[in-house]
Amino acid sequence: MATVTFKGASRIYPRAKNPAVNELNLEIRDGEFIVLVGPSGCGKTTSLRMLAGLEPVDAGDIFIDERSVVRLPPRERDIAMVFQNYALYPHMDVAGNLGFALKIAKVKKSEIKTRVAEAAKILDLEDYLDRKPGQLSGGQRQRVAMGRAIVRQPRVFLMDEPLSNLDAKLRVATRSEIAALQRRLGVTTVYVTHDQVEAMTMGDRVAVMKDGVLQQVDVPSVLYDSPVNAFVAGFIGSPAMNLVEGTVGSEGVAIGSTVVAVPRALKDTAGTGKVTVGLRPESLELAGEGAGIPAVVNLVEELGAEAYIYARLAHHVDQATFAATPDFIVRVNPKSAPKSGSAVELHVKPDSMLLFDADSGARITAA
Amino acid sequence: MLARRYIYRVIGLLVLLLFVAFFGVPLLWLLLAPTKTDYQLAHQAPLAFGSLGTFIHTFNRVINYQGGLMLTWLKNSAIYSGGGTALALLAAIPAGYGLALTQFIGRRTLLAVTLVVMIMPATALVMPLFLEASAVNLVGTAWAVILPFAFFPFGVYLAYIYFSSTIPKDLLAAARIDGAGEWGVFLHVALPLARPIVALVAFFAFVGDWTNYYLPFVMTYTNSEYPVTVGLQILIGSAPIFSPTASGYAGSEIYRPDLAMATLIGALPILIIFLFAQRTLVKGMLAGATKG
Amino acid sequence: MAVSDERISARRRRRAGGQRGGLPAGTSRTAGYFFVAIYVVLLLALGVAPAVYAIALALSTSGGVGVSHFVDTFNFFEFLPAFEHIAEFEGIWLASQTVFVVLLALMVHTLKRRVSTAFRLIFYLPGAMAGSASAIIWLFMFTPSGSPFAFILHGLHYQVLSNTVQPSNLPIVFAIMAFFTGAGGWIVIMYGALNNIPDELIEAAEIDGSSALQTAVRIKIPLIRKWIVYMLVLSFAAGSQLFVEPQILGVATNGQVPAQWSPNQLAYYLAFQQDSFNNAAAVSVDLLVIGLLVAVLLVWRGRLFEVE
Repeated sequence: MATVTFKGASRIYPRAKNPAVNELNLEIRDGEFIVLVGPSGCGKTTSLRMLAGLEPVDAGDIFIDERSVVRLPPRERDIAMVFQNYALYPHMDVAGNLGFALKIAKVKKSEIKTRVAEAAKILDLEDYLDRKPGQLSGGQRQRVAMGRAIVRQPRVFLMDEPLSNLDAKLRVATRSEIAALQRRLGVTTVYVTHDQVEAMTMGDRVAVMKDGVLQQVDVPSVLYDSPVNAFVAGFIGSPAMNLVEGTVGSEGVAIGSTVVAVPRALKDTAGTGKVTVGLRPESLELAGEGAGIPAVVNLVEELGAEAYIYARLAHHVDQATFAATPDFIVRVNPKSAPKSGSAVELHVKPDSMLLFDADSGARITAA
Repeated sequence: MLARRYIYRVIGLLVLLLFVAFFGVPLLWLLLAPTKTDYQLAHQAPLAFGSLGTFIHTFNRVINYQGGLMLTWLKNSAIYSGGGTALALLAAIPAGYGLALTQFIGRRTLLAVTLVVMIMPATALVMPLFLEASAVNLVGTAWAVILPFAFFPFGVYLAYIYFSSTIPKDLLAAARIDGAGEWGVFLHVALPLARPIVALVAFFAFVGDWTNYYLPFVMTYTNSEYPVTVGLQILIGSAPIFSPTASGYAGSEIYRPDLAMATLIGALPILIIFLFAQRTLVKGMLAGATKG
Repeated sequence: MAVSDERISARRRRRAGGQRGGLPAGTSRTAGYFFVAIYVVLLLALGVAPAVYAIALALSTSGGVGVSHFVDTFNFFEFLPAFEHIAEFEGIWLASQTVFVVLLALMVHTLKRRVSTAFRLIFYLPGAMAGSASAIIWLFMFTPSGSPFAFILHGLHYQVLSNTVQPSNLPIVFAIMAFFTGAGGWIVIMYGALNNIPDELIEAAEIDGSSALQTAVRIKIPLIRKWIVYMLVLSFAAGSQLFVEPQILGVATNGQVPAQWSPNQLAYYLAFQQDSFNNAAAVSVDLLVIGLLVAVLLVWRGRLFEVE
């Protein structure tokens, strides 16, 4: 068990304009489950591979415990990794796959057997030990890949989108299994995914990356409630946060022709002029006439316990950018959901609005 | 630790260079030998360069040997290989298509037989083929060489793999629904998509035919019928250096630079094809036997 | 009972699977014959017929049907030596080719892409010299005066060509010639096979603590094993048919290499020097059986080929 520290770690691919990972600073605590999340090309996988030793570190440093590992080959870092496509050795049976690392490390045969049996028991693989990977289902292969990491008893687990090859239902089930297993073993884990739901449900802390730069790292609830910028705000949460242009005036923020009140302290720092307004679907509610932002319902999505309406704001309807302007998503009570095509007014719940700088996207907070 | 890795690398590089010499030096020698006279060849350093003039002179000697015999051989090689390749394509491409995308009784058997015949070295059938050809009086005609070349099971297998792995069945179904007959589906849908495999089969057929020695050696009788591979053996027979009893006409003996030049000319078409087709070769050979 | 039921249903399932991959209903079932027609005619006329004809010739004796031609040829004093020559040649050639091809492919595979392309090109270019060209080139390479490899030949105290190609050396000599033209193609193929191993797998091994050498031995070689087997078997079959190299060497050494050195040469000799087509057919059938056995073995047991 160990801590992992990225200190200004960068990776610049030859002939690439921008660094794939740009001065990453991240401290991972002992036993922590941290998730690196972001859209494809954000540098999350590259960061993981730098930690694994599969990718060189061009600047900065990476430590496991107190020791810098950037000059060590992967095999001397005492890490185990679960790959996206599992990377099972096709010519070895499950037992061979699980025990390969121990065999390389010249562990005694009897001990290998015990440890393989242990891992197989934990992962419910005991009946498949003499099968080849080609004879296993997707879920079983995934478990073998996990088992291969467990058997090692490494200081750090690295997981690179290990669930992306499973179907939706199995993915949800395996998600909680992996999280539970990690808590039980208590091994520091770095987990990479592009799926923010996965990140939010699994991680002790979540690190959001974009274009090679770490945006924010914190526990899931903080990421959700107080994102540092419009990107994190839009990326975290499902359905996504509504982001719309607004103008700060003396009364509050004008969205179209509707002025929404803003707490005094927040308005003071916002000054006047254009801002980006962020509103979660649950921050809005249907209101009576004249009481909110007018909009037209395009689509109603009924999910049973809740419903979402996709509504076009009235001042957006006539715009030339019609197609480019996304619908506003609002959570409503399914019992009283409006019909599609009907006109509604959307009221912003008090104190639920986030403001972001219109240019930089940085969050504007009360002083 | 680091030092040991360094030593491994150096040893590895040395081994690689050793083999580069093994494969490369004979080729280099072949290129340089015709630039020298027979005397220079025997007395200068083996890889020394003679002169361009000598190279041209040697070239002319070889081309004009016995009234242009070399050109006749090259022409024969071209006819045999060209004809064989054309016929092989004509047979193999539709057959691969038929095996992959149509259903008929005996299809699997035909496939299995094709595999067996493909792996069996073609040379094994040469003597039986000769016996058969002489029974039907084909020996001594171009057909005795071209027809065996036309039978190219490896090409059938390559086409089979290609059609079964790259052409979706739905595409053919769509064409049928659009009203195309079986022949129309092949001609208008499958064939236009088959260009890569036509090139691949043609490559293997042509290279194999051009470098084939045993079949034409058995099937042809005279100087005017030989392809260049067999012709080279005739040249050795007229080279006093190897055959002291060889009695060429005065001035028409074959010397060592001539022999090297003739070998070079004979292999040139294939060398050129090879230089441009490495990627094709890998693709084809890997496709030749992959399963999961 | 349960087992056999399972087996039957598995077979049924497999059959159903085969049909699913088949044709949509209503498609013509005769069109297939049309497409394979030319090929089938060639197969029958040039693959099956000659084999059958050769067998018939070999079996027809003055007294009807018998194996006397096989017995006669077996008793020729050239017969056993020819097969011994081939066996010795195959042993040397296959062993060295397997080791060197795998080694070189692994080594080239560790190089940068552009560098490795150059190496592969040099290795496989001699393939263009297949047939008589290679034999002629090596005739020169084996002639101590003027050969770029003269220093080695002189080191072995060889003064003239006939020293190099003395009878006991011939299997090695032909193995070198065959390696020269054949190895490059196989190196290229093995390289391609190595490239088909997913990077992830090699990285997984690296993380599992495997050194480059261990990865080569435990991961890479096992994963290209079927190609190695494929190479061995095909080369064995081709090698059994050796003809052009001893033939050319025979011409160039004025008969120091006998015209019946290899079995194929023997068949040729019997047909054209002895005018005994029946005996020639008998030797050809011997060779045909070797080739056929190997092929059948590989197709049925090797699981190398995509049949469905």
